[in-house]
Amino acid sequence: MNAAVATSIFGLFMVATVGLGLLAVRGRSGRGDRGGGLAEWSVGGRSLGTVFIWVLMAGEGYTSFSYLGAAGWGYNYGAPVLYVVAYMSCGYAVGYVVGPMLWSYARQHGLVSITDMVAHRYGRPWLGAALALLVTVFLLPYIQLQITGMGVVVSTISYGAISLNWAYFIGFAVTTGFVVVSGLRGSAWVSVLKDVLVIATLAFLMIYVPLHYFDGYGDFLDRVVREKGEWLTLPGSGDSPYGQAWFATTTILNALTVVIFPTTVAGYLGARNADALRRNAVLLPAYNVLLFVPMLLGMAALFVVPGLTGAGSNLALFRLVVDSLPAWLVGFVGVAAALSSIVPMAVFMLVIGTMWGRSVLSLLPGWHAPARQKLASQAVVVLAGCIALVMTYTVPNTLVRLSLISYEGMAQLVPMLLIGLVWRRLSLAGAVSGLVVGVAIVCGLVFTEHDPVFGVNAGILALAANLAVALAVSYAGPADRDARADDEVLAKDPGGDTGVVDAAHTADPV
Amino acid sequence: PLRRPHLLWLLVPFLLYVGALPFVNRVRPLILGLPLLFAWLLLATLLTPVAVWLAYRGDKRKRAS
Repeated sequence: MNAAVATSIFGLFMVATVGLGLLAVRGRSGRGDRGGGLAEWSVGGRSLGTVFIWVLMAGEGYTSFSYLGAAGWGYNYGAPVLYVVAYMSCGYAVGYVVGPMLWSYARQHGLVSITDMVAHRYGRPWLGAALALLVTVFLLPYIQLQITGMGVVVSTISYGAISLNWAYFIGFAVTTGFVVVSGLRGSAWVSVLKDVLVIATLAFLMIYVPLHYFDGYGDFLDRVVREKGEWLTLPGSGDSPYGQAWFATTTILNALTVVIFPTTVAGYLGARNADALRRNAVLLPAYNVLLFVPMLLGMAALFVVPGLTGAGSNLALFRLVVDSLPAWLVGFVGVAAALSSIVPMAVFMLVIGTMWGRSVLSLLPGWHAPARQKLASQAVVVLAGCIALVMTYTVPNTLVRLSLISYEGMAQLVPMLLIGLVWRRLSLAGAVSGLVVGVAIVCGLVFTEHDPVFGVNAGILALAANLAVALAVSYAGPADRDARADDEVLAKDPGGDTGVVDAAHTADPV
Repeated sequence: PLRRPHLLWLLVPFLLYVGALPFVNRVRPLILGLPLLFAWLLLATLLTPVAVWLAYRGDKRKRAS
C-alpha cells in the first residue's frame, strides 16, 4: 500500500515535469529568425528575466548531491561538508563580475558556450572542438552521477517497488523527454516546480526530524556536542584528510571554477541583460542556507541509523524520511530529490549537445547551417544521455573514477578562458601548454590517491603550475599573430549595459 | 585609483569563509545552541548577499552619476 501511494505521487509528478518542460516552448516556434534556432534552444534566446535565471541557477546548484552526498558527508565526516556552502557563496560573488562579462562577450559575438568563446578568443575553431571533447569527458560523469542519485532515491521512496535499473531509465527518459524539445527554457520552467518542492520539503524536514527523533533542536544539538564533538570542527571525524588548508583551498578553487562551469555559463548566457545577472548574484547566496538542512540531518542520522558505511551513508537522510513519514509525504520528498537530479542532468546534457553542435560538428562539411547545428545538438543530447545510461548499467566504476577529476579538471580552464578574455598577451601556445600541464598534474595526483596533497586541494596546485607555465610560455614565445582589434578579441564588463535583446517580442514577463 | 572600488565588497565572502577559519574552527562557545564553526558559516552565508548587494549598490550609484 505504501509503495503504491508513494509511487503514484512520483509518477504523477514525472508526467507533470515532462508536460511543464514541453509547455515552456509553446508558441515560441514562430518568433522571427531566432525562433527555434540554436540560441533559442541552448540559451533560451538570451531572454530569461531575473526570476527565471534565479530558479534555473539555484536549480543547477541544488543537485542530487545536496540530498544524498551532503547528508552522507555530514554523516561520515561532519564539518568538512560545509565547503559546499562556502564555495557556492564565494562563487556567486565572483560571478557578479564574471557573469556579465561572459554574457556581454557571448551576446556581442553570437556565442553559445565556453568552447565557442575559446574558439573565438584564440581564432582557432579546432581549439573549440578539442575543448568540447575534453569538457565532455569531465561532464559525462555528472550525468551518470545524477542518474545514479535519482535511481537510489526512486528505489528507496518506492519501498523497493521500482528497481534501481528501472529508476535509472525513468530519470534518463523524463529528462530527455523535455530537454531535447525545449532546451534551456524547459529546464527553467521545471526548475520552478523543483525549487518550490525543495524549499517546502526541506523546511518541513528541518522542523519535523528534530521534533520526531529528539526533543527539538536544542536536544539534538546538545547530543551532537556531547557525543559527536569531532564532527563539529575541521577536519571532521575519524581519519578525515579534510582540514582547514583543504577547506580554504577547495573554497577558492571551486569558487573560481563554478563561474566557468558550462552549466553555469549556460545560465549566464540565457539572461535578458547584464543587470539580471548582477541581481541574481545578490539573491542566489541566500538559497545556500537550505544546504545546512541535509548536512545537519545527516548528523541526526548518526543517532537514528548508526553504522551506515560506504555508499549506504548517502541514504542517511532518506532512511530518516522513509522511517518517520507517511507514504504520501515520502512521495513528495522523493519527487523533490528526483527533480534535483533531473534539472542539473538536463542542463548537463544540453551544454554537451550545444558544445558539439556548435564547436565540433559544425566544422564538418555541410553542417555549418544554423538549423543543422541545432539538429546535431539535439542528437548529441540524446547520445550523451544514452552513453551515461549505458555506462551506469555496464561500467559504473569507470565514470565514478572520471568524476574524481571532473571539478579539478574543469578548474584548469580558468587561465585559458578567464585570463585569456581580459589579457591579450596570453598566447595560444601559453594557454594550451598551461592546460596540458594542469590536467596532467590533476590526473597524476588524483589517480594515485594523492588528493588532498600536503593537506591542500590537488587542483589548486595544478592550477598554480598551469598558470606559471601559461605565463612563462606567453612571455618567452612570440605573441599570437592576430590582426583583430582588442574589442573583437577581449571581453569587458558591460558597465551600465541593461540593453534588452529584442525585448518587446521575446523577453519573459519575469 | 581603482575604477570600481565598491567591488572590494566582493572579497568579504572570502574573508568570512576562508580568512576567519583559523579563529572559528571550534565547538565552543555555542551560539544559539550551534557550534561556533557552524554558527559562523551560517552567519557568513547570510552576510554574503549583503556584501554582493553593497557592490551592486556601488555600481548603480556610479552609473547614476
